[in-house]
Amino acid sequence: MRVNYHPILGKDERKKLVKIVVDGREMMAVKGEPIAAALLANGIRKLRKTRKKGEYRGVFCGIGRCTDCAMIVDEIPNIRTCITPVKEGMQIITQEGLGKWERK
Amino acid sequence: MGEEIIKKSQVVVIGAGPAGLCAAIEARKAGATVLVLDENDRPGGQLFKQIHKFFGSGKHWAGLRGFRIGENLLKEAGQLGVKILLNAEVYGIFDDMTVGYIRNGVEKAIKGERIIIATGGIENALPFPGGTLPGVMGAGGVQTMVNIHRVLPGKKILMVGSGNVGVIVSYQLMQAGAEVVGIVEAAGRVRAYEVHLNKIKRAGVPIYTSHVVKEAIGKDEVEGAIIARVDDNLNIIEGSEKHLDVDCLCIAVGLNPQIELPYIAGCKFSYIPERGGYIPVFDENMETSVKGIYVAGDVAGIEEASIAMEEGRLAGIACAGSLGLYDKETEEKLKKEVKKILRAMRTKHDSRIIHSLTGIPSNDRFEKGPVAVIECKEEIPCNPCESACVFGAIKVGEPITNPPVLFEEKCTGCGRCIPKCPGMAIFLIHKNYTDKTSLIKFPYEYLPVPEKGGLVSCVNRNGEIISRGRIIDIKASKKDDGTKIIAMEIPKEYFNDVRGIQIRGDGI
Repeated sequence: MRVNYHPILGKDERKKLVKIVVDGREMMAVKGEPIAAALLANGIRKLRKTRKKGEYRGVFCGIGRCTDCAMIVDEIPNIRTCITPVKEGMQIITQEGLGKWERK
Repeated sequence: MGEEIIKKSQVVVIGAGPAGLCAAIEARKAGATVLVLDENDRPGGQLFKQIHKFFGSGKHWAGLRGFRIGENLLKEAGQLGVKILLNAEVYGIFDDMTVGYIRNGVEKAIKGERIIIATGGIENALPFPGGTLPGVMGAGGVQTMVNIHRVLPGKKILMVGSGNVGVIVSYQLMQAGAEVVGIVEAAGRVRAYEVHLNKIKRAGVPIYTSHVVKEAIGKDEVEGAIIARVDDNLNIIEGSEKHLDVDCLCIAVGLNPQIELPYIAGCKFSYIPERGGYIPVFDENMETSVKGIYVAGDVAGIEEASIAMEEGRLAGIACAGSLGLYDKETEEKLKKEVKKILRAMRTKHDSRIIHSLTGIPSNDRFEKGPVAVIECKEEIPCNPCESACVFGAIKVGEPITNPPVLFEEKCTGCGRCIPKCPGMAIFLIHKNYTDKTSLIKFPYEYLPVPEKGGLVSCVNRNGEIISRGRIIDIKASKKDDGTKIIAMEIPKEYFNDVRGIQIRGDGI
């Protein structure tokens, strides 16, 4: 859910959008925002599955410290999505375990 | 580092948060060359997600919102010529005072005659079943998502932890339009400042003291939570479980210092639980056991941002002094000023100390006309109300932890103090507004803003609806920075009870 209006911060004036692809599904993101924020806004909180038990994890710290939000981004695994800005056409994949390098 | 020529700066600051920026500003003021390294793509650390007004001394930006303080610091640093290098991730500090960092995938290094480490803190996690489900987030993480990136992590939120962070983030979640279903606190009483707590209570948020989260429920992500009462030994009392319909748990159970760099640099450590665990030992100049390496802010022990800024200033002045940029006398004078503020800010806060109600007018005064009611009775290092009153009707004095005293005969009922109180604890009450009604003016920072002339549900200090009121006026002045002053007519019998309006449901 986006916070479009805020009593202190005012109206969200960011207008430029980019298209990202998440597990094959296209969705819109605000230019420059972190991947994790874009996913939250699109209702996606499950970002990766753990290696041993296959449990889902999502954002915890939001500032790049805990690494729970790691995903495969443009073929590179273990990208901290809470501090990596979205880019037009970015390919984002839910990471399983330690992930794998998709780049051949 | 290969054959690359290593660059030099007299002072290298690691971290562009409140402590690092203040340290850099002070060192630069003395004439030092200063470079600040920060791993993020924007400076300011965690200041830009702090959208509430800060406590502190009116002389030092108290009463300003955190992000405004951040803007001011960046402006000052820029004017002074402090260099800030962003996207620079520091990975180590070597014996020869060289700082290694990676920027855009390239390894680089800079040598400092003095190094100030201001890397801040990391949020604590809390172990409980379901505690790793997506939807369980740190309170700071939630604050980042909501106040900087403008997305809510859930609609119905359970806050875990009732310290200042938990209570302030709860308030901010409601400002962004989420519902805070409750605040859970394992201790028998709330730990936050009372004025922060009161904002939450007026909004009707239930506070579950002596409660813990037993479990976060949900298959793949949070779909609910079970809380339970605990006994004095923190054991769950069977049968006290309560299911809460929530989609997000927000964990506000403290932070710990981010100490990797001082550790790598060989600094000595000490274990201080009240300050977040292992912290580097430092002296009265913020210098660690390694000569030339200083610490400031949360890395030197978890405290408030306002304290981090003063520690940064102290470290910056001390560095400049040790580099010979100040004569001994000037250095000591400057450090003395900062230490005085630090002492005042650190005066032990004890919410069990209830002072006499020095901010509350007498019954006689209420009869005579509009008057300020200052519901602030704790020892808080804060005094913007004092300078807000041009009539000298509010006195805090020294130390600034004194609760404000109202000189009721001097109060004209102008209401200028209302938006200046960071605790939103000042109300203006005109008991005899008409024969049957009173007028109350109170600060308001939610959406939607009620309509002038409209009828609203009025709440008491606990958020219970006790009467109806009519909105007479709404003041939104630019200098109040988002705080609106609402004037509301209420039945006279409730003049001492009504303290706000219902913000949830169909009250407005």
